[in-house]
Amino acid sequence: MAQTAKKQSGRPAQTMVVQSGNEIAATAAKQINYHVMGYYPITPSTEIAETLDAMKAEGEHTIRMIPGDGEHGAAGISFGASTAGGRVFNATSANGLLFAFEQLPVQSGERFPMVFNIVTRAVSGPLDIRGDHSDIMLAMNTGWIILMAADAQAVYDMNVMAPKIGEEMSVRLPVMVAFDGFFTSHQKRRVEIFADDQVVRDFLGPFVPTVSSVDMKTPVTIGPYMNDPDQINNKKQQADAIVRSYDVIRKVFAEYEALSGRRYDLVEGYRMEDADAALFILNSAAETAKEAVDALRKEGLKVGLIRLNVIRPFPIEEVRALLKNVKGLVVADRQDNFGGWGGAMAIEVKAALQGVKGNATQVAARVYGTGGKEFFVEDAAAMLREAQDIAKTGTVPVPYAYFGANPGDPSFTPAKAFDPITEADASGLIRVETTPEGKMEVKGNVLRNLTERPKRIGPGHGACPGCGIFVNMNTFMKGIEGHVVILFHTGCGMVVTTGYPYTAHKITYIHNLFQNGAATLSGVVEMFAERKLRGEIPKDEKITFVMVTGDGGHDIGMGPSIGAAMRNHRMIICEYDNQGYQNTGSQLSFTVPLGQSTSTSNYGPHQHGKATHHKDTAQIFAACHVPYVCTVAESNPRDMIRKAAKAQKYADEGLVFVKMISMCPLAWKTEERMSVPIIQASVDSCFFPLYEVEHGITTLSYDPEEKGKKVPVTEWLKHMGKTKHMLKPDCKPELDRFQAEVDRRWVRLKEMHKNPLL
Amino acid sequence: MTQSGKAVKLPVKNDLGFFEIRMESIGGLGANVAGKILTEAAIIGMGMNGAGFASYGSEKKGTPIKSFVRICEGGQQVRINSPVEEPHVLAIFHEALAKSVPVTAGVVPGKTVVILNTRRTPSEARDFLKLEGGKVGVVDAMEVAMATGSRVNMVMMGAIMKAAGFYEWKAVEETVLAQFGKKYASLMKSNMGALKRGFDEVTFEEFPVDGKYPATPFTREEPKLGYETAPIGGTIYSVGNMRFKDLSTSRTGTIPLFILDKCVRCGECDITCPDYCFVWEKGKDPKTGKDGMVLLGIDYQYCKGCLRCTYICKFDALVPAKEAEQDMDKITVKHKFLK
Repeated sequence: MAQTAKKQSGRPAQTMVVQSGNEIAATAAKQINYHVMGYYPITPSTEIAETLDAMKAEGEHTIRMIPGDGEHGAAGISFGASTAGGRVFNATSANGLLFAFEQLPVQSGERFPMVFNIVTRAVSGPLDIRGDHSDIMLAMNTGWIILMAADAQAVYDMNVMAPKIGEEMSVRLPVMVAFDGFFTSHQKRRVEIFADDQVVRDFLGPFVPTVSSVDMKTPVTIGPYMNDPDQINNKKQQADAIVRSYDVIRKVFAEYEALSGRRYDLVEGYRMEDADAALFILNSAAETAKEAVDALRKEGLKVGLIRLNVIRPFPIEEVRALLKNVKGLVVADRQDNFGGWGGAMAIEVKAALQGVKGNATQVAARVYGTGGKEFFVEDAAAMLREAQDIAKTGTVPVPYAYFGANPGDPSFTPAKAFDPITEADASGLIRVETTPEGKMEVKGNVLRNLTERPKRIGPGHGACPGCGIFVNMNTFMKGIEGHVVILFHTGCGMVVTTGYPYTAHKITYIHNLFQNGAATLSGVVEMFAERKLRGEIPKDEKITFVMVTGDGGHDIGMGPSIGAAMRNHRMIICEYDNQGYQNTGSQLSFTVPLGQSTSTSNYGPHQHGKATHHKDTAQIFAACHVPYVCTVAESNPRDMIRKAAKAQKYADEGLVFVKMISMCPLAWKTEERMSVPIIQASVDSCFFPLYEVEHGITTLSYDPEEKGKKVPVTEWLKHMGKTKHMLKPDCKPELDRFQAEVDRRWVRLKEMHKNPLL
Repeated sequence: MTQSGKAVKLPVKNDLGFFEIRMESIGGLGANVAGKILTEAAIIGMGMNGAGFASYGSEKKGTPIKSFVRICEGGQQVRINSPVEEPHVLAIFHEALAKSVPVTAGVVPGKTVVILNTRRTPSEARDFLKLEGGKVGVVDAMEVAMATGSRVNMVMMGAIMKAAGFYEWKAVEETVLAQFGKKYASLMKSNMGALKRGFDEVTFEEFPVDGKYPATPFTREEPKLGYETAPIGGTIYSVGNMRFKDLSTSRTGTIPLFILDKCVRCGECDITCPDYCFVWEKGKDPKTGKDGMVLLGIDYQYCKGCLRCTYICKFDALVPAKEAEQDMDKITVKHKFLK
């Protein structure tokens, strides 16, 4: 928390707002009016892009907002944009940061300033969406300047200062602003901001590029191949720059104090004047811990707290000065440098104390609050008392330990919920026969009889009422005989079916990451085959391997899925297409059609929903020439089951791709019970045609035109809150373009249906 | 400072100087927005300080959530980030939550005012929630919301304002206007009507600590599986154990009712149900006497009330009904999970 100095006349006016950390980061970015933002949704940082998009639809800024195909793409967009001579902004969390990771040293090593907000969160695995520092501490040594914002006010202030620090000519480095996921990102707090955006813009001044990839008067080579003996000199330049940034940060902090009245130092010492014991702790937990310091001070204990506003460069001098007379110190890290005998800050602090003459500080490393575990005043008090004991005794009985982990109840055994589904339980209901003409025919496709099929997902999952994913998965699985192993990409379907110590999956289920499910399942499929070959698994054991992804998982995960298709592994990939990143709050995915509104493609006077057409994943897989590709919809359940049975048969030869349209009542803003007619309208409008591609030969499974049921796209759009605006006169151009695109793709498909060569 | 220029003092506060509110709700009823408005009204409209936040997970409708508001006087900083454990006002937006969530944890008689969205009397509400004692308020927020064309959160906010005692109308009204005015100007009158009726119609009664029910202290969660007992790597061996969860709290008043006589056992309901509630077993068809799969009924433990099945059933064997008018235990048919 910054100290708010008394208002002095002559300072620009400020207004009070109540905003969350994410909203205020977006507000600062809007005031700066960055040229470009590259981004990709990930909890808990997504709201920054959402807020900026909503502002853009209202015309409040002109930042060009580019949704990446993943965080790696978003970071690439940001890097590219920064080479082209303007201000660049990005935001992410946890695995998003890790996926972008290889871009980080390139951005710093090639010396292009930009600002990256890191809304800190636990990194997988297991997947945990709550706040800790395991992401930011991994990024600590990538050459970026890292500012730590302890509360919403600091998020605003540091976001305003960050470009000025990184763009300084003696520095030219990218800057991260890190704040705590949920604790800071989602709490609404009182924040003072400059009333006039121009004040912020004047403080920063115009962006002055040192290099530009689009200045045709000065052609340059950016990112050359550089080995020894040159590379070490590039690193020396970079190291010198981050060392120089030490003074630049202090200068910018001082200039900002003069402008705003809010003071920041590289390090904040709280009640450290006469402290002989202290707690070293970062960000929101440090604010909580100040209450404990006050309480223990009332008891007469000489305790204090140290918190950093900047972790890179590490403020070594200031930390040494504050620790001069401290005898007992607990360094609490919200992550662990596994095997390093402490978290990142514990190691840094110990290193800082090395060689300081006369220093007697004894340090205990504690790992606390990982995965977002709440941190209470009492927790901080316990750590301070421990620091006090260390100060008193001069010894550290336990140098490294976890704080707040539970041993568990030894008498507890998780209850058995289901008997394993046997081969016999799940077989004998449906069969695929091949006709003399070589066509596959599916027998036993009777809904009543198929109610006997054991469900592979059990009841009790936490999906929203009316969710289409579980209708699609259940219907599809009715066509699949025998043993199944299933893998889910990150997404709604995954989040609501497992939540430790619970799982809704009755069969073996694997979750790895958001984007590489197809690669992961490829490994499973091949290991299974190899172990069968080696006699480690019976030769007649049969398992059908199914991967499930959302359409968002097929933005970020398109590469691995195409890789699996090209290798033609014996597996089925099911994509439930609910048209957006619904798990993180309905941001646009590439399958969202033109003009539709999502939380990152808002409708407003300055923006009419998504600007581009929907991605056609089925055709992408058809172009991979896998044995079988099909599209299915719950409005035609027998067709879906028939295709599932065929998919299982085709998966004996190689990869199968299945695309399912899936209603999301929450994001589509539809009545839960109305799923079938809405899905039917998407099919009848030919937006989502039902067809299959068998060894390259396309067959329409249902032709609404032939049946006299074809309707204009408006008959689908009118059902959904997210598309109501498309029926308004101002969206007529978007509506016409969408209808024309749907018609064009439909006509093309009909031609493919007629001609086996297409 | 208020708009009239007076510094607002809190009537009561805890050791750290806060007046605290906790809302227990399910996703979709607007508790988060209510928390936002109550926080903003106090800060912007009344010159106080505070924080408003929720127990975020992923964005699912129908799942239990908590929304917290923490208010202090204007000169104080907000430094703590932990959830509200012993609130001054506890507002329960959805009474069915009491079945599956310890909503009353941390209620302290004499400190906490409990408000329940219900048709019950305060005395019935006390018994329903098994409260040790203290002040209990009731308001039929669902009814008022429907009558005013507004939402449950507005009514509950009105009731919370009454219980808190320090909120100023103008501050809240202006915050509601700022929140909804631009996009939903037409709803302003309904929202303010609902807010006012919540304030006026909440009725309170004070109950002594008479030993009828035990205290409900707040306990911080301690997982039963810990570092000494959990299988390594996070693997779960108790497959399908989400079936032990009770999802009936996701419903908001309506259920599908199964009428056996009209069922032709077509199997469409088993296709359309996302929550796998239909109990099918092998047996004799009641009409034809032939062996086959027979629908016995609905396992309401998992029914979230989406009513997809009532739309899909062409034979009126599944029809919407008011949950309050049904004996749920009687009409529930349980799945047989283990052999």
